[in-house]
Amino acid sequence: MSRSLFKDIRREGGAYLFLLPHMFFFVLFIAAPLIYALVMSFHQWRIIGEPSYIGLANFLRIWGDSRFWNTVQNTTIFAAISVPVTVFLGLGLALILNQRFHGKLWPLVAFVSPAFFSSIGILFSWNWILASYPSGLANHYLAKLGIIESAMSWFRDTTLAWACIIVITAWWIVGFSVLLYLGILQRIPPEQYEAAKLDGAGPWARFVYITLPWIRNVMFFDVARHVILAFGLFDQVYILTEGGPAGSTRTMVYYLYSVGFERQQLGRAAAISWYIFLIVIFFGLVQLALLSRSIHSAEVE
Amino acid sequence: MLFLSGKTKQKTKRLFYSVFIWVMAAVWFAPIFWMLVTSFKETGVAVVESPPRWLPQPVTLENYRVIFTASGGININLAFLNSILVATISSFAGLLVAIPAAYALARLRFPGQKIIFWTYVAVLAFPPVLFLVPNYFIIFQLNLMNTFSALILPGLGGTFGVFLLRQYMLGIPREIEEVAWIDGCSKLRFLISIGVPIIKPALVTLGLMTFLASWNNFLWPLLVLTTAKKFTLPIALVRFTAGWGDPFRGIGPSMAAAFMSVGPALVIFVLFRRYLMRGISLGSVVR
Repeated sequence: MSRSLFKDIRREGGAYLFLLPHMFFFVLFIAAPLIYALVMSFHQWRIIGEPSYIGLANFLRIWGDSRFWNTVQNTTIFAAISVPVTVFLGLGLALILNQRFHGKLWPLVAFVSPAFFSSIGILFSWNWILASYPSGLANHYLAKLGIIESAMSWFRDTTLAWACIIVITAWWIVGFSVLLYLGILQRIPPEQYEAAKLDGAGPWARFVYITLPWIRNVMFFDVARHVILAFGLFDQVYILTEGGPAGSTRTMVYYLYSVGFERQQLGRAAAISWYIFLIVIFFGLVQLALLSRSIHSAEVE
Repeated sequence: MLFLSGKTKQKTKRLFYSVFIWVMAAVWFAPIFWMLVTSFKETGVAVVESPPRWLPQPVTLENYRVIFTASGGININLAFLNSILVATISSFAGLLVAIPAAYALARLRFPGQKIIFWTYVAVLAFPPVLFLVPNYFIIFQLNLMNTFSALILPGLGGTFGVFLLRQYMLGIPREIEEVAWIDGCSKLRFLISIGVPIIKPALVTLGLMTFLASWNNFLWPLLVLTTAKKFTLPIALVRFTAGWGDPFRGIGPSMAAAFMSVGPALVIFVLFRRYLMRGISLGSVVR
């Protein structure tokens, strides 16, 4: 009996050895940071020097800071518009790409590949397209179409700046959603559509009663993912508007960046990240619930 | 009026639909074309020409010469190599730690396995920004500021790769493994000589996804890199353009530099799109 126990330990010890290398980095850069983030948020914490415990002062100070609430409002409005725009755009493009047509590679590259490009690369290009010169691409074509009268600055007006950020963001990241939806659309058995057609169901009815139930969970997953992404908005603002005009495009992460890394108030920045956490955790849990379902079904297979 | 048979009609319809989508795709991709086109224009021409030309006239390679030989401060060339180095090491090191961990979670049985697995899945639900501030401090404490290690090591603790490989491994029939065990093959040897070749497609997928994530990363390197010698491409791009004062004064070289960042990702996408697409569906299979 003791021999089999020894064997057990050896066998199980082996399993832990397989896990060990990853576990080491997991503890160092995922688990420890979570604890640190909590500890730091209760301290006046700078990069050098002794941290001092200040209780809830960081949280209260942020709570009372109108600039923070501005960034909450900005980011929330951005999420409320850009998430549905991106999700429906992704679904629409996937439905278009899922039809039968010739030369599928080119449209796939065009619609999907930008999602795999660096934010800075594509933002530079958009910044150049939206140049305030009359020769700027957007100014030139819109003037030609008679939509604008003369060359304009695209980031000087709050609403316009946000519209640009939303359009550019959707253009950039919609590819991931397209892939998600294409993946699930191709799993729907064509017989279901054939049968519905024979029963006299029109395209809309077929979409509502066949496609939608099939893709519903993928859509929930996609929405949750986009909400979390939206509350991480930073690069676009950093490159295109630098938070302007007059702070109206500052986002929560931008605020965290300027407090934590420009002013080196790490404790307060950690507290800001917990506020972001509180806002998006619901969507994280939605994702988790959907993932765990798929994990169970994969295990059953 | 032509009388078309049903089949011809359908064919024509499909051709029209194809052309419609190709044109739409071209419009959609215009920002990337415009970047490439501008990179072959003289800056002085690009900022004033009206109407804007989609074929550069004259064509110049001057912008690429400028970024390849830039002497003052920012060296795009070096940043390009830095990015390649960091992204390559990130993806291989990531695979090296994720493969055995995924194998243990998918196939071995040991106490605490469920807890570890669900902890790994649970952290996927945390917003990445939560790790930014503490990791910055940890990197500082480890004396790794302004090093490539600061860019590579934190990613190794991520659980997405382990999760993705485990999902893939679950789909491999157990029988293969049982035969190997009966033959007296140790678990490690099995993993190296039989397991890894079987999961190769998943490894390519994860390797490429890690490569691109590292290649494109901006905020983290912005925080931990301080000297131009260590800059990765996205950081170098921002500093390079800022160096011109008015960004459009250096639009030619800037677009050339931006294309240095986008081009490789485009090539990877075209060549390996099937692997990347599988990664998206494997990492989020929702049924």
